[in-house]
Amino acid sequence: MFQSDGRPHGYAMSHVFDAWVLPPGAGLPNAPSLSLQSGATPMRYLDADPDWLGRVLDALVDSRAGLADRRASDLCAALGSVGERLLDPHDTLRMKALEYLPADSGLSTEMASVVLDGMARDWTEDRLRSLLDAEFADASCLDGFVEHRGRTSMAMGPGLSFQVVAGSVPGVGVSALIRSLLLKSPTLLKPGRGDSVLPVLFASALHEVDPGIAAALAVVYWPGGSEALENVALRRADAIVAYGGDETVAALRGRAPVTTRFVAYHHRTSVGVVGVEALEQPHATASAASVASAVAVFDQRGCVSPRLVFVEQGGTVSPRAFASLLAQSFADLESELPSGVLDPAEASALHQLRGTVELIAASDAGSESGAQIHHGGDASWTVIFDHGPTDPVGCLGRTVRVIPLMDVEKLPELLGRLGAHLQTVGAAGLGDRAKKLASSLGRAGVSRVVPFNQVPFPPPWWHHDGRSPLGDLVHWIDLESA
Amino acid sequence: MTLSEGAIPKKARTASVDFDALATDLVKNFSAGIELPRSDAEFCALALRVFEYQFVHNSTYQRYSERRGVTPLTVSAWRDVPLVPTGAFRHLDLVAGEADSVEAVFHTSGTSTRCGPPGRHLIPRLSLYRASLLPPFKAHLLPDTDELRFISLIPSPTELPRSSLSHMVGVAAEVFASDVHWAVDGTGVIDRELLAAALHASSAESRPVLLLGTAFAFVHALEQDVLGPLPPGSRIMETGGFKGRSREVASVELYGALSGTTTVPIDHIVNEYGMTELQSQLYTTVLSEPTLEPGGHVFPPWMRVRALDPSTLEELEEGAEGLLAFFDLANAGSVCHVLTEDVGSVRRGRVHLKGRVVGAEPRGCSRAMDDLMATR
Repeated sequence: MFQSDGRPHGYAMSHVFDAWVLPPGAGLPNAPSLSLQSGATPMRYLDADPDWLGRVLDALVDSRAGLADRRASDLCAALGSVGERLLDPHDTLRMKALEYLPADSGLSTEMASVVLDGMARDWTEDRLRSLLDAEFADASCLDGFVEHRGRTSMAMGPGLSFQVVAGSVPGVGVSALIRSLLLKSPTLLKPGRGDSVLPVLFASALHEVDPGIAAALAVVYWPGGSEALENVALRRADAIVAYGGDETVAALRGRAPVTTRFVAYHHRTSVGVVGVEALEQPHATASAASVASAVAVFDQRGCVSPRLVFVEQGGTVSPRAFASLLAQSFADLESELPSGVLDPAEASALHQLRGTVELIAASDAGSESGAQIHHGGDASWTVIFDHGPTDPVGCLGRTVRVIPLMDVEKLPELLGRLGAHLQTVGAAGLGDRAKKLASSLGRAGVSRVVPFNQVPFPPPWWHHDGRSPLGDLVHWIDLESA
Repeated sequence: MTLSEGAIPKKARTASVDFDALATDLVKNFSAGIELPRSDAEFCALALRVFEYQFVHNSTYQRYSERRGVTPLTVSAWRDVPLVPTGAFRHLDLVAGEADSVEAVFHTSGTSTRCGPPGRHLIPRLSLYRASLLPPFKAHLLPDTDELRFISLIPSPTELPRSSLSHMVGVAAEVFASDVHWAVDGTGVIDRELLAAALHASSAESRPVLLLGTAFAFVHALEQDVLGPLPPGSRIMETGGFKGRSREVASVELYGALSGTTTVPIDHIVNEYGMTELQSQLYTTVLSEPTLEPGGHVFPPWMRVRALDPSTLEELEEGAEGLLAFFDLANAGSVCHVLTEDVGSVRRGRVHLKGRVVGAEPRGCSRAMDDLMATR
């Protein structure tokens, strides 16, 4: 936006990334491909038209019969082998991913590597088998009828899945396509900007490993909001999985047929809570470091990334002092996991936020309840300490509010306003109060309570937004005999 | 950058600057008109005087400045006077002096795409506002005449006493309107009869008109088909005002439609760009400098505008697009140096607006542009 050619300086044209992988026989659209001129990603995408997209969907649907004969365990093995390549430091696939990821996602090189490790860890054969086992009492129900407690049933994936993924967190697109492919569902993945590289590389590598499975996958990027294209896929799909902000998801849901399974991963907000037991030194410093790390991974773009941190009063380290420790942790983390690039809107919002809070802090400086701000200057990390209400600040790189809390038991009540958008609560220092608090947080809308160091990367079998990641997609057929 | 706990700011310097004396000098400066260029030295001298006044009389701004290492003793260039983000107007009364003795409080409405409280701008001296708004209004809207009939699709200041835009039109009407017809109520609903009568009378008398409105109001008026041909010599002042994205630059289509319906040539439609947080306004120069190439807004000589790098806030070179920052001497009673979220470039003394800074695509499940800061 602020450079004449829209490309970061020093970026050669040879780095242009083709953001598509098509099933054999789909062919290319008639129009030449387009290049994305704005933003940090030098990306080429297809100038897709609705007729062409229809032919891609035809090819995907044709692949279903071949996929139906495959065993779920074969799918785990094939998909898992690609996942393992992405973890192998000597594999060219991983090298390529790490080469393109920073430009695609805006994350620093170091962060891209951490994110790839954290995401691909869940794409190995073992982890995918665990996912099937967690979701189904007997995973062979995907391959044929299975009797379980007197009921004979078989689980079938959608005839065609349309996955629309947000670009905020790289890797989400791959996790999404794996979920439907594991269910033997031909899949059209429309990745978000910022998350195109991994699905495209994954799909290309899948073609090398197992062309039969790869024939059931298309990855096609187009700029979001193209209704003519989306409508083709929305009409044809048997299941639609939409990741994104509330408005994006609502716009898709509104245009989907009522008979189509629609799984919405809408906007989510996550928070952290630090109880007194984590506020004794030297634990408090370690707690602060784990909070900082939970916020920093993905530069806070994940739905799991905490935006508010509630700190219990009454510990050796006060909430205000904890905010200082957190600031120090962010500063320390900057060399290990440098901040990525904020886009102009985010950078602007961060200046507005910092300046405003600094003025608020200056307006009641010295008072016991006065707001306080720490920030990293050119680095995006920003810690705001205040007693204000529990509105989260925007995810602007690494920006959190630290809010003092009389008693952790008050947390569910405080979070009530965020209800429908709540997701993860990172937790430390709750001791034996954890279980009781978790159940009341669940009633408040929270779907995951975890130690801070596990916040960024949930296991593949997590109840994503409180739901069954595979169970939501299958339909069951029951076979009853006389 | 870390704020040290319990830092007690120094007491305000006792040698207080007298606001009346300062305001008198500023009014004198503004009254010299917009034609006369002010040298950088002259501008800077006034800017630093104003900063000293604000520093002494606004303890919040004083501490904020001191934390940046900027005081009246250390600062030598207006560029170094600490910037205040427009967002801060939503949380604090940024007034220099006593908040309860101000003459007016203007509220922002829909100038932000965010939720949260509206911003407000406390105005200690309306005379200063008046002095800053009249010369540019005259120069850019009435360069060829001293008086016109006003027909306003902007609510009157009686209807909307908290609107700086209504106030501005009210003051301008007092001075430049032969008669003024307020054709909308406080909620923007058009009084069809009043408007029709005013349009009819103008046509019958062949009296040129200044028609004023927001882009939003004009879109509605066109949809409702309540406008008609205006007599020769008429002109239109359009100001940003689409709800939720208030300072969006109006579209070519709107001007085409407006011109078609009113017969006012497109080069007689002037765009005004202003915001509650700034007392001075910027205008396009289709009327005031018809021979110059159109495009861009000019700002009065008591204002400076810069485009800043959105990441570093470094000043960008001429013509480069960035976040717009304004130094408005007319803001002497509050804060002068204001950082906006509007994007544009500055070329040859004109501001080329691009609209509000927005991301290329929303970033998925963690909306970046959520409300930034809680209500206080």
